[in-house]
Amino acid sequence: MTASDRDREAKPSTGGSESADASRRGFLKGAATIGVGALSGVPTAAKALEFDIEDFFRKNFRELSDEELEAVLRRVEEKYSNRYGKQVTVSANGPMEGVVFGYGLDVSRCVGCRQCVYACVDENNQSRDPEIHWIRVLEFEREAVLRGINLEDGNPYYEPDQVPQEGKFYLPVACQHCEDSPCSQVCPTGATWQEPDGIVVIDYDWCIGCRYCMAACPYGARHFNWGEPNVPAEEINPNMHIIGNTPRPRGVVEKCTFCIQRTREGRYPACVEACPVGARKFGNLLDPESEIRYLMENKRTFVLKSELETKPKFFYFYGSSVTR
Amino acid sequence: MSSDQTGPEGPSPPSYQLATWVLLGTAVVLVVSLFGVRLEQRPETTRDYPVRAQVPDALAVLMPAPPMSDEYMPCSDCHAEEPANRTPRELEDDHDDKKLAHGDLWCLHCHSADQRDYLHLADDTLVPFENSWQLCTQCHAKKLRDWRAGVHGKRTGHWRGEKEYRTCVACHDPHSPAFKPIAPKPRPRRPEEIAGGSSAIGEHAHDGL
Ligand code: HEC
Ligand code: HEC
Ligand code: HEC
Ligand code: HEC
Repeated sequence: MTASDRDREAKPSTGGSESADASRRGFLKGAATIGVGALSGVPTAAKALEFDIEDFFRKNFRELSDEELEAVLRRVEEKYSNRYGKQVTVSANGPMEGVVFGYGLDVSRCVGCRQCVYACVDENNQSRDPEIHWIRVLEFEREAVLRGINLEDGNPYYEPDQVPQEGKFYLPVACQHCEDSPCSQVCPTGATWQEPDGIVVIDYDWCIGCRYCMAACPYGARHFNWGEPNVPAEEINPNMHIIGNTPRPRGVVEKCTFCIQRTREGRYPACVEACPVGARKFGNLLDPESEIRYLMENKRTFVLKSELETKPKFFYFYGSSVTR
Repeated sequence: MSSDQTGPEGPSPPSYQLATWVLLGTAVVLVVSLFGVRLEQRPETTRDYPVRAQVPDALAVLMPAPPMSDEYMPCSDCHAEEPANRTPRELEDDHDDKKLAHGDLWCLHCHSADQRDYLHLADDTLVPFENSWQLCTQCHAKKLRDWRAGVHGKRTGHWRGEKEYRTCVACHDPHSPAFKPIAPKPRPRRPEEIAGGSSAIGEHAHDGL
């Protein structure tokens, strides 16, 4: 992203207030004085183009009372059921007691087939056009990786007839669900935060699309929804979580949520189910019997950019000492 | 527990073997419930091999192995009458599609010579095809441990709750078990392929990292 892009997009979205701690609330006060009409007239305020006044003015997810939350869920359910012509359920299942999620990816197995990428798109209602992929699979020279992984050298555009290719190394990257997440720390509106089970979530109705979080994320894991979200009705996944896979409005940032709509029901994320080589592992870090604990205790693991001390909950590991 | 063919990690630590035996009692009950039908079909055996009793997990469901190839016919249709030919050789009639690329194994390391519809373990215990994982893990003991823990191979369903296990043959052809290359799904679009100009390029250039 160039500096001028960032300026152009950020200014109208943060409204009259330029200060770093400009809050959504402060912004709304300013907006009230100039009037909502003027606001939606700002051409690059992407948010305003798909203007849903009730979503826009609702409280932050974390401040909603039980009754208010219930009302929001039913309203959103109705909105999407109507839009897509099928029964949509929107839950707000909270974190489970005694659960902190961890993810494991076996780099000695991954073949770079990208089946996880598209399983994620389907499950999480990612926009098809403009295309958004929450998972990017990077291809590296195996030789180079032996000296250390430098994400910037990864190529996401490889397209041989078959994978894996001799001499290549594949590394899928999505949100690392950092303990010290730089993204949530820079968010001016409190629209993104870490839940007690470790999932870093986004309240899409509070996101103003300033993209500070994208600049702050060292893993390139956050994605900006440029256009009207485009998911064909027959492909919509109707099992939604309010801070998970509800279709995002235009002009907000989105990313992996560990499939919050599935995992908070005890199910595996969609990418785990899709992986043909069984490289993807998921479980409760607090449970000594879980697969994630097993691999942390029995396998060689690493995290990306450990020097930044973001403390990811996404662990890469070598399931086998045999290299292909 | 038998030897480990998977390389440098060495044999399982004693604590694991102990746990194995502790688990055995409950495991046998589980095997009966999971494989009840199959157990009845299994012929009388002289000894119970420990490996076989180790079901992965109390909440485990073993997914059936994928169907055999289209040409599959009950082995005994042809073999019941013929005496086994135990000489390792390249097969020219009927099984010329089975080109072994599995260590230096020969057919009869796995297939029973006298009861061709079954596999057999090192101690001659017969194992039906559906339970072939018991054969594989006899030689690949380290993999058994990882597989039970859900770390080698694949579990689907629930991280908390019922787990569906894929058995070894779901991913490995026993005759040439190395993973076969597959076609990748389409790559993401490059920045210059995306309509919408410079701002879109910004997003993707950043993503590309
Ligand atoms: C259509 C008949 C037919 C069927 C069905 C058949 N085989 Fe065979 N099989 C043969 C013939 C013929 C040979 C000898 C081939 C040669 O020597 O080139 C053979 C050889 C073998 C051998 C090598 C050892 C030996 O005794 O010669 C094995 C092992 C074997 N078959 C396994 C099986 C298994 C397991 C099945 C069932 C899944 C099966 N076969 C089904 C015809 C058959
Ligand atoms: C490493 C053990 C192993 C070896 C060695 C082995 N097999 Fe098999 N074979 C199996 C297993 C396990 C199955 C069942 C596969 C399944 O369930 O999908 C099988 C299935 C078969 C089948 C029926 C399924 C099909 O794909 O047609 C035939 C025929 C067969 N084997 C023949 C042979 C012959 C002939 C040889 C020697 C050239 C041989 N096998 C060597 C383990 C082995
Ligand atoms: C009788 C012992 C034995 C049995 C039974 C056995 N294997 Fe193997 N397996 C071996 C040996 C030996 C090797 C070669 C090891 C090596 O090269 O280091 C091997 C190698 C492998 C490899 C690595 C192949 C490669 O080319 O990288 C896989 C995967 C494998 N076996 C899977 C299986 C599966 C699945 C089964 C059950 C259908 C099975 N094995 C049954 C002995 C066995
Ligand atoms: C979900 C698919 C899957 C299942 C199920 C699975 N494996 Fe594998 N296994 C793999 C892949 C992928 C590799 C890497 C193989 C390669 O590169 O050729 C592998 C490698 C191996 C190897 C070679 C050594 C190594 O670590 O690379 C052995 C041995 C092996 N598997 C045995 C087993 C056994 C035994 C089982 C059943 C208990 C099993 N596998 C189940 C996918 C699977």
